[in-house]
Amino acid sequence: MIEVRGLAKSFAVPTPRRRGGWRWATSLRAPAAGAAPVSPASTRVHAVRDVSFDAPNGRITGLLGPNGAGKTTTLRMLAALITPEAGTMRVDGIDVVARPREVLARMGVLSDSRGLYPRLTARENIVYYGALHGMEREAADARAQDLARMFDMTALLDRRAAGFSQGERMKTALVRALVHDPANIVLDEPTNGLDVLATRALRDSLRWLRSPEGGAKCIVFSTHIMQEVERLCDCVVVVAHGRTVATGTVPELLAEADERDFEEAFVKLAFVPERASGGAGP
Amino acid sequence: MKRSIAAVWVVLRKELSDALRDRRTLATVLVSSVLMGPLVLLAISGLVASLESRAEQREVYVSGLANAPTLRNFFERQTYVVKEAPPDFEARLRRSTFSDPVVVVPADFEAALVRGEGPVVEIVSDSANQRSEASTARIERVLGGFGRERAVLSLALRGVSVQLLEPMQIEDRDLASTQTRATRITGMLPYFVMMAVLYGALTAALDTTAGERERGSLEPLLMNPTERWALVAGKWGAVACVSVLIAVLSCFSFLPGQWVLRSDTLAAMFQYGPREAGLFILILLPLAAALAAVLMAVAIRSRSFKEAQASSTIVVLAVSLLPLVNVFDLGGEAPWHLWAPALAQNTLMTRVLKGEALGVDQVLIPLVVCVTLTSVGVWYVARELHRAAVK
Repeated sequence: MIEVRGLAKSFAVPTPRRRGGWRWATSLRAPAAGAAPVSPASTRVHAVRDVSFDAPNGRITGLLGPNGAGKTTTLRMLAALITPEAGTMRVDGIDVVARPREVLARMGVLSDSRGLYPRLTARENIVYYGALHGMEREAADARAQDLARMFDMTALLDRRAAGFSQGERMKTALVRALVHDPANIVLDEPTNGLDVLATRALRDSLRWLRSPEGGAKCIVFSTHIMQEVERLCDCVVVVAHGRTVATGTVPELLAEADERDFEEAFVKLAFVPERASGGAGP
Repeated sequence: MKRSIAAVWVVLRKELSDALRDRRTLATVLVSSVLMGPLVLLAISGLVASLESRAEQREVYVSGLANAPTLRNFFERQTYVVKEAPPDFEARLRRSTFSDPVVVVPADFEAALVRGEGPVVEIVSDSANQRSEASTARIERVLGGFGRERAVLSLALRGVSVQLLEPMQIEDRDLASTQTRATRITGMLPYFVMMAVLYGALTAALDTTAGERERGSLEPLLMNPTERWALVAGKWGAVACVSVLIAVLSCFSFLPGQWVLRSDTLAAMFQYGPREAGLFILILLPLAAALAAVLMAVAIRSRSFKEAQASSTIVVLAVSLLPLVNVFDLGGEAPWHLWAPALAQNTLMTRVLKGEALGVDQVLIPLVVCVTLTSVGVWYVARELHRAAVK
């Protein structure tokens, strides 16, 4: 169970210095009439302004948004990697900012970067994370074996990760994130770089994890691919320009946008409010 | 706390086995740092042995031997074997295919000698040909002896005391012990061992920080419920272990190295046994720990392994250049030497080689410096870890 309320985060982005112009020199120069005031050494980019959603257990919640909408930043805050400037996040009722380690113990995160250790075998990569979660090596190894069967990667287990294909790397990273059998699963664009068959296999695995036999996990899944959401998600949270702009099931969102095609509905929901508020676009 | 310590152990084990599987890098480090020292030692011993054997040979090459029976007689009385020089000796000396200086005697040598005209005898060698240079001084001494003998005989015939020729006597007295003298040759040994520590730590430190960032494995690693300090401590421990391992191999590689020393004099002077190797390792342990932490701190700011290599150059340069203060003996031993890492360890190891005792302050000062560097380095890496993961 994951609850996120009013999340916000901005970053300082350094602006490049003009050629031959030191900061003191530019500040001495009088600004042209009507020009913006002299820019500081860095500007702030608001990656996330106001994101809120609830992801209950036994459901797949999709975070849908265009590139740069703030999905990855939101998930990084949820994984206690970045501290938010405003808002609250609770996982199974535990505050992420106040007790990050307890939250991480209950969460399996497949982040944007999913690097493996190339000189270790897939099994060693997975068991290492199990051990970091405080599991006994034997237990972690047995769990790796079970998950490998589920994701059809038993043959990979004792191969070194150096020569893995994109799909093999993704599977290993996913199993690694799930090794401690977390109640909450957070996946950042998990189908990136996967072929059709691997994507279908992943979808089946996620459906199983959602089912009562699979443990009725709370799954949060970020993507910018419409099909994924339509086929998989019980609930969709549309994020655009750092804000939650719509929430509901796919039929609910279609009704809200008064469209029959989900892609059209998404474009309407994600971009129209910004247009109306004069934020982006003509 | 108990769980964090268990996590340190987990990280250390993983990083260690990861580093030890990087066979190509390890092989390069082993060849460059561990084998290089003994090989250089062997080369030096070979050179010293060849100089020694030449000194023992007591051979002299003369061009125009038939012109100087007196000189030949003198050489033979000094138990030298006199040989006629090959006709193309100049060309062969230049090409370094002939390794002895040649005494060139003019055609009218005997007649000029009798008339007291001071005939010119040349000693031909090539200063670019080091082996021929080494014997020149010896031949010069023998020829000087010939000149003195002639002078003494002439003076004695005229009834003048020989003492007039030597109004004073010069004697050498060398204060250095055998071991101290040996450090002139073996002084580079601590330097090689130190390079082994440095290069042992370098790759592992870069791989565990910048390499982890480049692979994209740092972000998922931080999504485990492990304390940051535990992750960093485990990583640091592994890097320090690899470095110490290479240092141990390097220190012990000189033991078999000295058994095959070809020069007996060098072997007698070179006091390096298991005790010295053990002391070397004790001296190097804190340095390995500090270097591991400092290199990690430098590398954590870099996004890629390549960038980290560039930024660690300054550490590598400092560790390589500081001991040279000792090697070149710039201004003797100064108190500040003990406060400079690498230089301090070099000073201590040189003392061990000289067979001198180590004082408490000499051990404590470098230890305190290394412990401080280690703590600052580990603290900095732990602080930067999150920032590095998301950038």
